[in-house]
Amino acid sequence: MTGRGYAIWFGAAVLALLLACAVAVTIGPAEVSLTHVVGSFAQRLGLSFGEAVPPLIDSIVWQLRLPRVLTAAFVGAGLALSGAVMQSVTRNPLADPYLLGLSSGASLGAVCVVILGVSFALPAAAFLGALLALFATLSIARVGGTITPARAVLSGLAIAQLAAAGTSFIIFWAAKGDSYREILNWLLGSVAGSTWQSVIISGTALLVVGIGIVLSATRLDAFAFGDTSAASLGINVNATRWALLGSVALLTGAMVAVSGSIGFVGLILPHVVRGLSGPGHRRLLPLVIVCGALFLVIADTLARTVFDPRELPVGIITAFIGVPVFILLIKRKRSAVWG
Amino acid sequence: MSSRARILLVGLGASAALLLSGCAAAAPPAPTPTIPPVLNASYPVTVDNCGTSLTVTSAPERVVTIKSSATEMLLALGLADRIVGSAFLDGPLPSNLADTGANLNVMSDFLPGQEAILGLAPDFIYGGWESNFSADGVGERAALADLSIGSYVSPAACKGDAMPDPLTFDTVFSEITEAGDIFGVVPEADALVTSLTDDLAALEPVTTDKRTALWYSSGTDTPYVGAGIGSPDMIMQAAGLTNIFHDVHDTWTPVGWESIIEANPDVIVLVDATWNTAADKIANLESSAATQGLDAVVNKRYIILPFASTEAGIRNVEAAASTIDQLAGLSK
Repeated sequence: MTGRGYAIWFGAAVLALLLACAVAVTIGPAEVSLTHVVGSFAQRLGLSFGEAVPPLIDSIVWQLRLPRVLTAAFVGAGLALSGAVMQSVTRNPLADPYLLGLSSGASLGAVCVVILGVSFALPAAAFLGALLALFATLSIARVGGTITPARAVLSGLAIAQLAAAGTSFIIFWAAKGDSYREILNWLLGSVAGSTWQSVIISGTALLVVGIGIVLSATRLDAFAFGDTSAASLGINVNATRWALLGSVALLTGAMVAVSGSIGFVGLILPHVVRGLSGPGHRRLLPLVIVCGALFLVIADTLARTVFDPRELPVGIITAFIGVPVFILLIKRKRSAVWG
Repeated sequence: MSSRARILLVGLGASAALLLSGCAAAAPPAPTPTIPPVLNASYPVTVDNCGTSLTVTSAPERVVTIKSSATEMLLALGLADRIVGSAFLDGPLPSNLADTGANLNVMSDFLPGQEAILGLAPDFIYGGWESNFSADGVGERAALADLSIGSYVSPAACKGDAMPDPLTFDTVFSEITEAGDIFGVVPEADALVTSLTDDLAALEPVTTDKRTALWYSSGTDTPYVGAGIGSPDMIMQAAGLTNIFHDVHDTWTPVGWESIIEANPDVIVLVDATWNTAADKIANLESSAATQGLDAVVNKRYIILPFASTEAGIRNVEAAASTIDQLAGLSK
């Protein structure tokens, strides 16, 4: 694709994201007029716009919808970016934080903090959980041979199931009554409880880790041609691989800490975007970030509006969309992945 | 032999001995019923219970009760001596039943499994929820019937076609009458229904200032609230409150905070359970930036009800009366 073609796609994606966020903030179970939404923003920015916005309407816009939309955007971006990096570093088109068990590991870490009261900051515990899960998955996959994509996915599946069982056990054991609903939120993923704190956690992680990763785009390109060619380009293969995977664990941990384990964003977005940007990471990564954000903002808006006033965990929506795409992917890449 | 292996063997031996003695003694002996022989019921009694036909040929003598609603029902009917075990209770007994229920054999705070139940050699299991009767719970109803163990689910908790829509006090009272027939205590059941009917008629619901209410049961990110056709709506109506989620066709439902803030209810009814206290919910409402501006939160217009009084059963009238009392005491 030409540079100009990419620029158009990127611009369109950014516009679509801004538009989706704007629409998401204006729609919801409560009827809030556009004037009030704009008024609420203006008020917070110290501007005056028409009549004063009633305090409760203001809190719907400013304390519920905006933090939720921004959290969804950051989490979607972070998960999609994590997926893209994992797919390149492991040269496995099926790699993503969810399939390789990182999300479940992070959930387990987060739930340990929330329920058992282990004194450890939530995102740090989630990061630790993600890192341990990643380490376990890759270790199992390596037993008795090289890591093939299929082995990695199967190991990830086992680790994800183990961590999910651990999460369920802790909630089941520690809590009583209707705690199964909390289990569902962690296992299926949801951004329903987002606050400004969630925005700060997910936003900071995306900014700090995301910039680091985007700056490593050239190294990721080198990985695409295999370890030997990467080494011949002067890259310390092992150190770089672990630094990148560690960054992914950090990013995933922060995202899971605020949203539980949302699946399929990290898996399908990089594939869809690669079709537009080509395989080069300097183009792929920025577009993946924007499209991941766009995807989760739309999915979460559906989750909270389709069955108004009831809510669905957003992970259900991403699975409904993600699994058919996943099947297409397996069909198209059969020889490459399973061969 | 390692000490661990030795302990294991000793344990096995002890279990085997227990097993053998258990076989020899068959079932533990039934306690001598202190209730006078049943004279006032006509057996067999046949009822349709949540779509399952139940025939009782004589008054059950060894009953296991699951959940507070079922346990309190039997205690209120004076059947404490026939309860051989209770489990999954939602909170302490109300003061008027505390004495009669003082010697309850509480098996577990959770739902026990089939073996634990069968070990008590019950002839009847009375459950508060239909889901209590599952293979990984106390056992499926058909399987229990094969063991000659009768089973009964509080009809208010029936799911599917048998679900009361909406639940009314008549349904609640008819459960008392049905229990009277099944357990052979018709006069006691009639007296209880009469007394509760009188109490219900004596309620003076809030009418002057129509108040809208949220029934906040549990949950923080996604609150679980009382919807339009279950006991929450029934109790709120009896107290003169208008449920802001009356139009949702369900008993309870998960909703988003946004809908609650939009409705801005006048009062918030908080269910107090040991596993999810009213104090926790108040702390959550008052600390969250999104909800601390609600009228009910600003003015602390909270109604607090014990969980066990809010599930369909003999304490719903009391819950409605308590709601009215608490409403009277709230600041405007």
